[in-house]
Amino acid sequence: MEFILEINTEEMPSSHIKSGLSQLEDKLKEALRSSSISFSRINSYGTCRRLVVVGNFAPEQKDRVEDIIGPPKIAAFDEDGIPKAAAVGFANKHGLSVEKLVVLKTERGEYVGARKITKGVPTEDILKESLPKIIASLSFPKMMRWGENPLRFSRPIQNVLCIFGENPISFRVGEVASSDFTTGHKIFSPKKIRPKNFSEYRKALAEHHVVVEQDKRKHMILKQIEKKLLSLGAQIYPDEELLDKLSFDVESPHVILGQFPEEYLKLPLEVLSTAMKEGQNLFSVVKGKKQLPYFIGVADVPKDSKTLIQTGNQRVLKARLEDAKFFWAQDLKIKLLKRAEELDRVIYQEKLGSYEDKTQRLKKIVVYLAHKLEAKGEKKSVAEAAELCKADLLTEMVREFPTLQGQVGGLYAREEGYLANVWKAIYEHYQPLSMDDAVPSSFNGAILSIGDKLDSIVGAIGIGMEVSGSKDPFGLRRNAQGICKIILEKKIDLAFSRLVDKVIAVYGEVFEKDKEDIKKRCLEFFRGRLQHIFESQGFRYDLVNAAISPGIDNIYYTYLRLKALDSLKESAHFEPMILIAKRVNNILRNQPQIYKINSELFFEKEERELYTTFTIIRDNTINMIAEGDFTKAQRMLFRIRSSINTFFDHVMVMADDKRLKRNRLALLQAISKLLNEIADYSQIVVSDQS
Amino acid sequence: MSIQNLIMNLQKFWAAQGCYLAQSYDLEVGAGTMTPDTFFRVLDKRPWKVAYVQPSRRPTDGRFGLNPHRVQKHFQYQVIMKPSPSNIQDLYLKSLTSLGISLHDHDLRFDEDNWESPTIGAWGVGWQVLLDGLEITQFTYFQQAGGIDTFPVPVEITYGLERLEMFLEGKDNLYDLNWSDDVTYRDLRFVEESEFSEYNFNQADVKLLKKSFDMNIREGQKMIDKDLLLPAYDICLKCSHLFNLLDSRGAISVTERVKMISQIRILVNQIAEQYTSREETA
Repeated sequence: MEFILEINTEEMPSSHIKSGLSQLEDKLKEALRSSSISFSRINSYGTCRRLVVVGNFAPEQKDRVEDIIGPPKIAAFDEDGIPKAAAVGFANKHGLSVEKLVVLKTERGEYVGARKITKGVPTEDILKESLPKIIASLSFPKMMRWGENPLRFSRPIQNVLCIFGENPISFRVGEVASSDFTTGHKIFSPKKIRPKNFSEYRKALAEHHVVVEQDKRKHMILKQIEKKLLSLGAQIYPDEELLDKLSFDVESPHVILGQFPEEYLKLPLEVLSTAMKEGQNLFSVVKGKKQLPYFIGVADVPKDSKTLIQTGNQRVLKARLEDAKFFWAQDLKIKLLKRAEELDRVIYQEKLGSYEDKTQRLKKIVVYLAHKLEAKGEKKSVAEAAELCKADLLTEMVREFPTLQGQVGGLYAREEGYLANVWKAIYEHYQPLSMDDAVPSSFNGAILSIGDKLDSIVGAIGIGMEVSGSKDPFGLRRNAQGICKIILEKKIDLAFSRLVDKVIAVYGEVFEKDKEDIKKRCLEFFRGRLQHIFESQGFRYDLVNAAISPGIDNIYYTYLRLKALDSLKESAHFEPMILIAKRVNNILRNQPQIYKINSELFFEKEERELYTTFTIIRDNTINMIAEGDFTKAQRMLFRIRSSINTFFDHVMVMADDKRLKRNRLALLQAISKLLNEIADYSQIVVSDQS
Repeated sequence: MSIQNLIMNLQKFWAAQGCYLAQSYDLEVGAGTMTPDTFFRVLDKRPWKVAYVQPSRRPTDGRFGLNPHRVQKHFQYQVIMKPSPSNIQDLYLKSLTSLGISLHDHDLRFDEDNWESPTIGAWGVGWQVLLDGLEITQFTYFQQAGGIDTFPVPVEITYGLERLEMFLEGKDNLYDLNWSDDVTYRDLRFVEESEFSEYNFNQADVKLLKKSFDMNIREGQKMIDKDLLLPAYDICLKCSHLFNLLDSRGAISVTERVKMISQIRILVNQIAEQYTSREETA
């Protein structure tokens, strides 16, 4: 039978809608499964005012069959099948006649039993029970209360429509009682609609200016945009995020094409598009790479016959662009270098000094990075970029559009005639803003970004700031992940712990805490972030631990280690290798002292052989490891396994002769050390491990 | 069409919904939310309906009277209803219709915008209301004030009067708006804007402001200790305005900002706590 649930709310943010729908689907399925109600075809739809789930459910629960085991068959019936007292007693106890007893085959033999069949409860009853709980359990990024309702939700719930098999199901959610109606578009057709099934529901809503399917709305928007821009031969500047938001924000999509005076085209694209997007949710219009003096908006109306919506939006946009133009002209009157001198007035953090202090640190850090990354030619340009990169914090434009920080500085630097290796670095140095954002495209941008973020992280940790749970006031997690992302994508081969040392040294006497401790905490923090990144990329957690555990001195290499483990995890050699590595580690576990190998002391054939194999493999892998070819190194290592096995089979490690024992331990320690350069195998979970 | 007509219409409309029409508060505030008619009344458990015009000062928004839509003092029309009625969005739409706006000819949107005022430890969930892309109202379900959960939950509707009037008169410059039939916004406010911008940005004595801020913080704590909560709250409002002035003088660093805001918030939170505990003991 068909089921429809519509939660009608005041306007929800688009991110809430998507998450709400998927939770609703999952929770409903879960409830049906746990109540043994079969179902097919569950779909969900949403607008900013509705969360809708539609499905096909069985009218009632499956009957529940329960077997109660009674006496053994031999004890219950005689040879002729006549029931004995035990059978009669058992049947009476369960309110059955003896004939109804069944024979059940168990592992212990045949038993007499009672089969109880509980008739399934109507699905409606189950839904009545579970829907209020399901709805109340939905969680959203930001929850709210309203009125005197005990419930928390994304936005206030106005109505709940619930139909099963053409009949309404009644229950309560907080103070709202479920009903058999929904309403059309809030402004254009706020009439009650009483649908019997989904096809009626969809049709009636469409007549009342609500397109309930998000994909259809998105499609309509794109089609209308195409049509509007056809004669201009133009396109919107693609913005998936905005398109996605708008296709949830409107129930009745109507695309508006508007214009602004050409004089504003002198503003950079970034400023124009930000002014359009933020506040007014407008798309920029481009022809090829050229911005046109038009915008596209999406209204929640059937039509704009008096063009009031178009002219209204034009007027508002013009005012915003006028502001931006004013800021642009004003800002350019003061050179960035001059502004940078004022940064000593702007405190970055009480204990960490002003932005001027940060700038000075940053210069040292990026020069170090340029040096380490063998880009000596860029030392001067990147230092210059560092000098200027925070100056835009003092501009009107950034004050007005804070999301443009960095970009604005870069644009002003370009206007002032700085070369790309300077202005682009400034422009990109906040990137990536999230794990989905692009990393800086330029080399200088990348190192400026790494330097800036690491300076923030080391500074915060250095003065004892804690990041825990939801507490992360300086966005340190985002910064650390940004650094990792840059290093991984740009394949930056860098001694990371030395870089941390450098940053701590640059801070000089600012920190009261022990410097070794600060370094340890920083690396620990990065280790956690790296783990998070790798796991969210879908790598197995134990492989992640095995790759990270040997250290994150070189973040890019840690990643290569993980890739190697991941690519070899299906290999036939993989698990046996891990088992043998674990065996080696187990023997060494209680041996804190490190011994030295004396090759003359090997006297069993097998230990000599192992030593020889080991030295060959070690010499071969050294270069592979240095070059980051961990897959090859790992494959090479697989070859040591049989020698270790033979060694364990024939050689007594804990020999009575102390010299022999120590020498054997020394060999195993050397092997373990080599293994550890590739991965910490003890972290890996093996399926047939006993 | 004039601002005073707009005000009269709103007064009439919200009075009909049972709101008490309060008079503007006589201290500098950044928003209608900050006045005692909102701040204290959202904290207690009793129903409350109020509407009022509140001049609101934001010194950093000053533009010497030269910007057509930005001023250091503007007028808000503030409505509080507690508990929030379930048809509050409808009432709001009706209020717009009562101003002569034909909603069928326009695009009215409730666009996610959660409001927060760290200074008074308050936050809420809601929207900015956009009319053909113009933000005319802030619509908020108050979740916390003075660090205390508000329940029953109040709803706050804040109309930007200048914005709304610009929409109604179809004008691009707020100084061209009519306050009454023969007095314009320019007549009333231009000189004020230009003089106050000069004061806010260039003349206000930073040392004096800082000293007053510190003295007021101490005075506020004293009044709290004496359980004189209304005077203590007024003092917090003064601190908040002093802070805003210092900000527009460019005299506050990022950290100082955090520190000063938290100094005020600590006082406000104590006031809220003491105020609500009065109700519990009563």
